Amino acid sequence: MSLKDILSPFSAWKNLALEPVTVKDPLNERPGAPRYRGFHKNELNECIGCGTCSDICQNAAIDMVPVEGIETKAGDSGLRPMIDYGRCCWCALCVDICSTNSLSLSNEYTWVNSDPEVFRFIPGADKKSWDANELGWKKPDNYNLNEPLRVKMEETAPDEREMSFLEVVKGYSKEQAEAEADRCIECGLCTATCPAHMDIPQYIKTIRDNNLEEGLRIMYQTNPLPEICGRVCTRRCETVCALGHKGDAISIRWLKRYIADNVSFDEYEKILNEGFIEKTDKKVSIIGAGPSGLSLGYYLTQRGIKATIYEAKEKAGGMTMYGIPKYRLPMEILDKEVEFLQKIGVEIKFNTAVGKNISFNDLYNNSDAVFIGVGFESPYKIGIEGENLKGSLQAIEFLREINKGNKIDIGKKAVIVGGGNVAIDAARIAKRIGAETTILYRRRVEDMPADWEEIEGAEDEKVNIITQAIPVEIIPDEKGKVKAVKYLKAKMVADDKGGRPRPVPIEGSETIIETETVIGAIGQGADYSFLPKEFEEKLELMRGRIVTDSNMKTSLDKVFAGGDAVNRTADAISAIADGHKAAIGIEKMLLSE
Amino acid sequence: MKELLQRLEYRFDVSDIVQKRENQTFLTIDKKHTISLITHLRDIENFSHFVLLTAVDWIEDNLFQLTYILHNPEVNIDIAIRTMISRDNPEMDSAHHLWEQVATYQRELKEMFGINFPGSPGVNDSFILEGWDDIPPYRRDFDTKKYTEETYFPRPGRQTNDPAEYMKNKLYPNG
Amino acid sequence: MAKNKIINWKPDRSKFPDIGQDGKPVVDLASQKYVKIWHGPNHPGVTGNMSLELTVNGDEIVDAKTHVGYLHRGFEKLMERRKYIQCFPIVCRMCVAETDFPEYIYAAAVEDLANIEVPEMAQWLRTLVLEMSRLQTLLRVVPGQGGTIGLGLGVQWGVYLRDLILDLFEELTGGRIYHMYIIPGGVRGLLPDGFKNRMEEILKKVDDYVIRLTSLMYDNAVYKKRTIGIGVIPTDWVDKYGIVGPNARAAGFKRDIRKDNPYLIYGQLDYEPFTTTESDIFARAVVRLEDLKTTVDLIRQIIAKMPLNGDIKAKTPNVLHWKIPKGETYVKSESSRGEFGFYLVSDGSEYPRRINLRGPSYTHAITVLEKLLINANISDVSALMVSLQTCPPEIER
Repeated sequence: MSLKDILSPFSAWKNLALEPVTVKDPLNERPGAPRYRGFHKNELNECIGCGTCSDICQNAAIDMVPVEGIETKAGDSGLRPMIDYGRCCWCALCVDICSTNSLSLSNEYTWVNSDPEVFRFIPGADKKSWDANELGWKKPDNYNLNEPLRVKMEETAPDEREMSFLEVVKGYSKEQAEAEADRCIECGLCTATCPAHMDIPQYIKTIRDNNLEEGLRIMYQTNPLPEICGRVCTRRCETVCALGHKGDAISIRWLKRYIADNVSFDEYEKILNEGFIEKTDKKVSIIGAGPSGLSLGYYLTQRGIKATIYEAKEKAGGMTMYGIPKYRLPMEILDKEVEFLQKIGVEIKFNTAVGKNISFNDLYNNSDAVFIGVGFESPYKIGIEGENLKGSLQAIEFLREINKGNKIDIGKKAVIVGGGNVAIDAARIAKRIGAETTILYRRRVEDMPADWEEIEGAEDEKVNIITQAIPVEIIPDEKGKVKAVKYLKAKMVADDKGGRPRPVPIEGSETIIETETVIGAIGQGADYSFLPKEFEEKLELMRGRIVTDSNMKTSLDKVFAGGDAVNRTADAISAIADGHKAAIGIEKMLLSE
Repeated sequence: MKELLQRLEYRFDVSDIVQKRENQTFLTIDKKHTISLITHLRDIENFSHFVLLTAVDWIEDNLFQLTYILHNPEVNIDIAIRTMISRDNPEMDSAHHLWEQVATYQRELKEMFGINFPGSPGVNDSFILEGWDDIPPYRRDFDTKKYTEETYFPRPGRQTNDPAEYMKNKLYPNG
Repeated sequence: MAKNKIINWKPDRSKFPDIGQDGKPVVDLASQKYVKIWHGPNHPGVTGNMSLELTVNGDEIVDAKTHVGYLHRGFEKLMERRKYIQCFPIVCRMCVAETDFPEYIYAAAVEDLANIEVPEMAQWLRTLVLEMSRLQTLLRVVPGQGGTIGLGLGVQWGVYLRDLILDLFEELTGGRIYHMYIIPGGVRGLLPDGFKNRMEEILKKVDDYVIRLTSLMYDNAVYKKRTIGIGVIPTDWVDKYGIVGPNARAAGFKRDIRKDNPYLIYGQLDYEPFTTTESDIFARAVVRLEDLKTTVDLIRQIIAKMPLNGDIKAKTPNVLHWKIPKGETYVKSESSRGEFGFYLVSDGSEYPRRINLRGPSYTHAITVLEKLLINANISDVSALMVSLQTCPPEIER
C-alpha cells in the first residue's frame, strides 16, 4: 500500500472530459450488420416447399402450410414455411439447408407488437417491411451442409464402345451408392411426379442403412420391374428433385439399379412373397408382355388372381426387350425379371398373337377381365418422297432386328431422322455396327425429347447431330437405292400461343447429305386390328390412344388397357404404373362382388 | 502413454483400451477394481486432476456406464475409466474421499440417473431438481417429449404438413 | 504487491455450530446465535441464477451451501433427442458468457469421432473467435471483480468495450451473443472486408482501457484493502478440489490447456501463461488482467498471421441424417474460467448417446466456494464468488 494507491484512482476524473459513447438513436442509427440473423425472408416463387427447413429446425419452429395462390404441382408441394418466432432461435440452419436458396434472413431485428400472434407468419406471403432488405444472413459460399454434386457414374470409355454392345453405364459401387444416397434430403417431392409413385426416399434410405432387401420390398410395392427401370427409366423424378435447384439431382435411377443389382436373384422370392394372398378362382387375360402387362401380372398374382399373358413375340418385355439397345439394358436383366414373374405364377404364352393364333373373343369369353397392353408398335412414316427405297428403314424395326441378334447391312453411312430416345438409340447402334452416323432433327438439341445423358453419350461416341434440319426428300441412285437425303435448314420461330418454338424452313437452304441408309425415328402408333369389329367400334379412342378411367378401364365391359397404347408419356414407368392401377381396378371389380 | 498402459495392464484387469488421440485413452475395468485403479492412478501415476464423472445409460444392455476422466498435469494426458454397473438397483463405491468435488458429481448422478453412492456426503440431497417425483430424468426411459407435452401446453393453431403426404392428397389421392 | 497475510484456517470453533452425527452442522436457529440468509438468486452480487444459503454468526459466515437449479434446462438430455446438427444451435446456450467455447468443443468432439479434418482457414477463424470471446468475457469480468465491492466505474468502461467486440462478432457471425459460428466441419463465414482494421482500432482502445483500469482498480488502496489476503486458496487445494484456469494460475500452477495440450493453431502462437502465488482475491484479479493483455496480444498475432482466404468447411455427410461412428471422446479447451470440455458418446446412430459438459464452475462454485466462505465476512461474499468466476449455467446445464 502506498500513496500512489490512494491517489491513482482519482485519475478517473479525467474521463469527465471525454465525449459520451452512447448511440443516441439506436433504432435508426444502428442497423443490423450485413450478416445479421434477423427476421426471415422467402422468395415464394423459388421456394418449392420441400420442408428441409422444417426438418432441420431443432425447435420445431417451422410449419409447412398451404399458401393461397400457390399450386401443388410437379416439383412443388405448394406448401411454404411458416415461422413461429416464439420458438425460433435464429440459428439460420434453415437458410443453410434450403434446397433452392429461397430462404434467407434479413438484418432487421426491431419489431415490437403487443399481439403475440403476429410473430407467427409466412415469410414472403405475409408482407413485411424488411422483405426488400438486401442485407442479412445468406448461405455462405463454399459452405454446404449436404453435398450438392452427384457421385459420378463410371462409364465404358467412348472408344471402347465402338463395335461393342457392352453396357455403357457400369453401376455404382457400394461406397458410391452410399455417398449418393446420403445426399437425399427425404423431401419426397419426387414421389408425386413418379408415374408409379414409388416411395423413392424410403428405398434410398435403405441404401444408407445397408438394408437392400427392404429396399427391394419397397420398390416392388409400386414397381415389379425395378431392374429395368433402374436402367432405362425416363426418371421424371430426377427432373423435380429438390437438390437439382442448387446442384445435381440425386441419381435416383442408378440408386434403384444399385438395389436391384445387389440383391441376389435367388432371394427375390423369399423377400417378396410376404403379403401374397390366397389364390382365388378369378382369371385375367393380358394381351402383350410389355411393362404394363408384366406389372399387371405381378400385382394380380399378388392379389390371388390368375394372370395369363399372351405375347406375339418369342420373348417378353415389349419395347424394353426389342426397342432398347443392349448397351443400355442387357437382355439377361430382362430375362431375369420375367423368370421371377413366371416363378411366382404369372403364365406367359409366347408366340401367341391375339387375333392370329387365338381369337380375342375366346379370351374375352374365358376370362374375368382382359387387359390390352399392346403398345405402339407401328412406326410413323416421315412422309417424304423416297421412303420406300432400298436402304430406308424404320428405327423400331432396325432396333428389333439388332436385339434379336440379326445382322443388318447399313453400309458406311447412315442418317437417322428424329430426336427422341429411339432416334438416339438407333444412331448409337448404327455407330456401333460401323457406320458414320448423322442425326437430323427439326428443332434444337435442347428441344430433343431424348434423355440428355443419351444425347451426351451419342456425342461422346462421335455421332454427328445436325439440328434445325427438315428432311424433304430421299434421293435414290441409279439402282434405286438410297444415295442421299435432301433437307432444308430451319429457323426457330416463337409460338404465339405460348407453345415451344416451331421450326420454319428457310427457303433455298436445301442441303444434301450423302448416305447409304436412312432410318426414320419420328414416332410410332398403335395397331388394334386384332380386335373384332364389334369391339373395335365400341372402343373409345382419342388421337389413336385408348381412353380409360382412373382404374385403367376402357369403354368396353371388363376390358382394361395400359401402357403406350393409353398414356402419352409412352415410357416404361408409366406403363408399369398403369399395370398397378389396372390391378387395383380389376381387384375392385372382381373381388368386391 | 504406452508404458503407462503396459503398467496398468500388468497390475489391473483393464480391457477395451481405445486410444483415439496421443494424449487420451479410454479403458474399461470391472466395478470392484475401479476405485483402486483410480486411487492407483492418482497416487502412483500422478493423475492428480479429476476432470469429471458421469454416466451413460445403455438401457438395451441393462447397464449404466460410469466414466471417470482423470488428467495428469505433468505429462498432460487424460485417461478415462469406464465401468459398467447393472441398471437394476444401481450402486457404486464412492470416490468422494479422493477428491472433494467428487461428492457433487455423485450427488448429481444420484438425482439424474438414480445411481447410489453409499457414504458419499449429501448424496441424497436434491441438487438441481427440487421436488422431483418422476423417474430420474437422465435415464433413457424418461421421455422428455411426453413430459413436456403433459407439463406444458403447445401454442394453439399450429399445424404442419409433410410435403410428400400433402402432395399425395392433392395430386393423386387414390393412387 | 503486498505480502500475503497468513490466514488461520483452523478458526475458533466456539463460534461454529456443533457437527452432528451425519457430519453436517446442527444449526439451532432458536438459540438466536445464528441467522440464515439467502444470498441470491436475486441479488446484485451473485453471478447468474444461483444462490448461497449462508449461516452467519454476527457478520461472519459459519456455514455455506450453494443452491443451483434456477437455470436447469436439461440440455444434455434434450440433445439426446436431436440430430447432431440440431445440437449445434443448442450447445452455445450452455455458457452464455462465452458461447464460442461450447460451440468449439462440440464441433471438435463430433469431428474427432467422425474423423473430419478441419481446413486450416477454419482453424484460424475458430481460434480468433475463441480469443475474441475470451476478450469480451474478460472485459466484463475483470472490472466486475471491482464491481462486487462497489467500484462500478470500471465495469461501465468495460461493458462499452465489450459491446464493440460484440459488434465485431455481429459482423463476422451474424449474432452478438449466440454466434452459432463454429459448426461441425468448419465455420460459417470468412472475415468481412475491413474487419482486421476495425479489430485493431478496438484493441487500441482496450490497451488504453487496461492502463485506465489499472490506475482505477489495481492501484487502489480500497480495492487492495478489501482483497489482499482474503479468500486464499492454499496450493494443496488445487488438485484436491479440481481448481483450474486463472484460479489455479493465481496459486502458482502454470496450467493452461492452450499451452499444455495445444489445440487449433495455438501451437503457432507465442505467449506464456501468467502465474502468481499469492492466491487471494487480488492475485486472481491480477491473473485475469494479465490474461486480458495476453488475449489482446494473441488476437494481434492471429490477425497478423492468419491467411486471407481458404476453405471454411470440410465436407461432411448430409447433416440431415449424419451418423457418427460409435465411440466416445473427451475434448477440452481453456476458457476464461479454465478447463471447459465435452464428453461425447456416440452409439453409431444419428443422435448423440450422451453429451456431458465439464465446466470449471462445477467445482469452483460449489466445493471450493462453500469452503472459502467459511469464516469470511458477509460483505466479502460477492467478491469471493466473482473472484472464482462462477457461472451457474455450466453447473446445471
